[in-house]
Amino acid sequence: MAGRRGMWTAAAVVAVFALVASGCGRSAGGNAASGNISATKGLVATTPTGTKPVSSITWAVYRDVNSLDPIYAFDYPENTAISLMCESLLRQTPDGSLQPGLATISNPSPTKMVFTLKPGVKFWDGHAVTSADVVYSLDRNTNPALGGFYSQVFNRVTSITATGPTQVTITLKQPDYWLEGELSSMAGVVIEKSYARAQGKNYGTPAGGIMCTGAYEFKSWKPGVGVTAVANPHYWNSKVKPLVQQILIKGAPDVASFTSGMLTGGIQGSYSFGLATLDQLKNSKAVSVYQGPGWSTDAFIVSNFKGALGDLSVRRALSLALNRQAIIDSVYKGAALMPKWMSNPGTFGYGKSVFDAAYSSAPYMTQNLAEAKKLVKQAGATGKTITIGTSSQLANIAAVTGAYQAAAQAIGLKVVLKSVSAQNYINFFTSASARQGIDGFLTVNYGDYADPAALLATLDLPGGSQNYDNFNDPKLSSVLEQARSTANPDKRAALMVQAEKINNQLLPWIPDVQPTSLLLLSSNLTGAVASFAYMFAPWANSLGGKG
Amino acid sequence: MLLASLLIASFVIFAAVYLAPGNAISALSGGRALPASSVRVLEARYHLNEPFLAQYWYWLTNALHGNLGISIILRENVSTLIASRIWTTAGLVLYASVLILLFGIGMGIVAGLRPGFLDTSTLVVTAISAAIPSFVAAIVLILLFSVKLGWFPALGNGTTFLSNVQHFTLPAVALAFSALAIVARVTRASIREESEREHVQTAVSRGIPARQLIRRHILRNAAIPITTIAGITIASLIAVAAVVETAFSLNGLGAYLVQAAESKDLAVVQGISLVLVTAFVVVNMLVDVLYALLDPRVSLGSRAQ
Repeated sequence: MAGRRGMWTAAAVVAVFALVASGCGRSAGGNAASGNISATKGLVATTPTGTKPVSSITWAVYRDVNSLDPIYAFDYPENTAISLMCESLLRQTPDGSLQPGLATISNPSPTKMVFTLKPGVKFWDGHAVTSADVVYSLDRNTNPALGGFYSQVFNRVTSITATGPTQVTITLKQPDYWLEGELSSMAGVVIEKSYARAQGKNYGTPAGGIMCTGAYEFKSWKPGVGVTAVANPHYWNSKVKPLVQQILIKGAPDVASFTSGMLTGGIQGSYSFGLATLDQLKNSKAVSVYQGPGWSTDAFIVSNFKGALGDLSVRRALSLALNRQAIIDSVYKGAALMPKWMSNPGTFGYGKSVFDAAYSSAPYMTQNLAEAKKLVKQAGATGKTITIGTSSQLANIAAVTGAYQAAAQAIGLKVVLKSVSAQNYINFFTSASARQGIDGFLTVNYGDYADPAALLATLDLPGGSQNYDNFNDPKLSSVLEQARSTANPDKRAALMVQAEKINNQLLPWIPDVQPTSLLLLSSNLTGAVASFAYMFAPWANSLGGKG
Repeated sequence: MLLASLLIASFVIFAAVYLAPGNAISALSGGRALPASSVRVLEARYHLNEPFLAQYWYWLTNALHGNLGISIILRENVSTLIASRIWTTAGLVLYASVLILLFGIGMGIVAGLRPGFLDTSTLVVTAISAAIPSFVAAIVLILLFSVKLGWFPALGNGTTFLSNVQHFTLPAVALAFSALAIVARVTRASIREESEREHVQTAVSRGIPARQLIRRHILRNAAIPITTIAGITIASLIAVAAVVETAFSLNGLGAYLVQAAESKDLAVVQGISLVLVTAFVVVNMLVDVLYALLDPRVSLGSRAQ
């Protein structure tokens, strides 16, 4: 449940390399959601399983990992490293559906969740996972002294208790079917109680290390060099045999350096989006580029409903005037989908038939300038000013801002840009004083699990973590609350379809495009998860050399 | 002298980072809205809620006891973090210095002593390379020698000494590129100047062998300005290294300093700055010692007499 945009802060200097490098002949790629069968048709969630052993690879993330403690994991590098090695109670599969993870789940009543640990699950040190470890791990999220990032996720929880050596019962104030998704993500990662206690404040730091259960085992963490994980020969699930002996997770903040690393084999794999050098990598024989379903949405956050954008017609007009195809082509190099709803169709992790049927009949949010102009005129908003918060140092943010500026001017609105430094862009999200006088700003945002609700709840519900100007639509809120309490996946999906439709009418945020998840792999490797699920669940268990 | 520089520098840098916009807690949480109770816990843990002077005093007293503090972002001792990166920067600067001294001074001497084609071409080449900033040199070198030709790795540090040398070659060349040209030009100019001095001309007319002439009368006298410029350039490399480290994804102190300053990780910025200031002062001290060795008229520690 959050807004994260760190990756783009690293993309600012990329233009220099793009100018020097050749990179001709662009393939169209990407814009695949034209079929009526599945919203993510043409995208791959997985890659063919690897067959050959590999001794060692380097995996790049956009900056160095800051923490390996799941309660402080909020951004791409931390999630990538932790999901490689650690496992949650439930498991998000590459297609977004929820499966048992370390435990199976049953719901004896709507307000009770019972988790039963699978037989034989054990930590890297050989100790069996017990219910005490699970309770300890979940409680860390809400312990105020630790200041973890996921405490709100547990706001419907009354108690978490061990009801047997391998059984944990969560009692809820109200039914909460969103919690299952969260427990398949960072909030549900199980760590060893005795190890974490012995390490104290050092747990999850370079000095303290970690103790988890996954098929890749933590070996070392040298700040500045990276986090090294090695294949765990005693993994509890004997069906999984990791083929890559050693994976180094390394920060490569400079896009030019990252790109030449991929081209020359210094880096063997990475997950990305909005990558300016994508064409160059696609054209290289050394690199395979896969596009998987994404969970994230590139959107314009309306942070002030008292200004020009407080008028619904003006928001609709702005959305209609936006040239989304240009954003897909120039910013995402084709690796994004034209939106229909606020949520990325990659997030349809349950009730798929319900979602797909509704999604295929929904119209694309294509540009219609004539209609947009009419709306502005009718609203009497011609000549009004909107102020957009942006940063000229963030190439992608600046490019999408430019698209909004062109759209607004084309329909007779005036635009004022308030540009801040790359480091200070974050303040628009965190500080009310930074948002003062700003009508909106841009983001790439995702939820913690494959459910449109994971993102919508943060921006639509009163008190949501990304509801910046008290947006409140009672009908929309009640549909979302209802979805949260609905057990049946198809019924929940139907409610979410309704929520997306209402959201599209009201546009508290304006969706720009739906980025796909990019997997870049050295061409002699295969088997990594290609969908956005890599952020929350093991992604290298089938990774290996090509046969 | 060193201690005074360090004290002043530490205060100025602390104040600058303190006043710069941004907030360590929001950098830490990546913009996620944290519950107020969590923010209070984190602020208290890192003394962020105390006034400026108290924060500085707190840092200073700890530093005097050899404790450089804890990185807010990594929750790790700053001295450990610096120790793991210092050899990258030291190796890179050392390698680049060797290139500068060897090729810069070498080219300068040859050009200074042999007017004509060699001299002119040195002038043209150094004029161009002096104008190429390190980050442009880095991009071109990567493109040419690692992407196209595949001779050198494009990024990273290497593990053994030999692979270290291989990994550091392109970064060191990129770092030395423009500085080398400046040293070459100053060397050439001072050699030329010394060659035209009266005592050299007299020595020539007395038929003193060229080898002895160059060593005793030209190089010895030209050495002072060459040492000065070489010292200044090498000291400045320590600061420029950040750009090259970023371009080649090396885990050096410079790149880390930039990162830490961006996320307002005060203790790390302070720690690295102290190391850099110390290195700068030490290099300058070495240059002073060299003066004394090269020219007996200069004696260490003696003021104008």
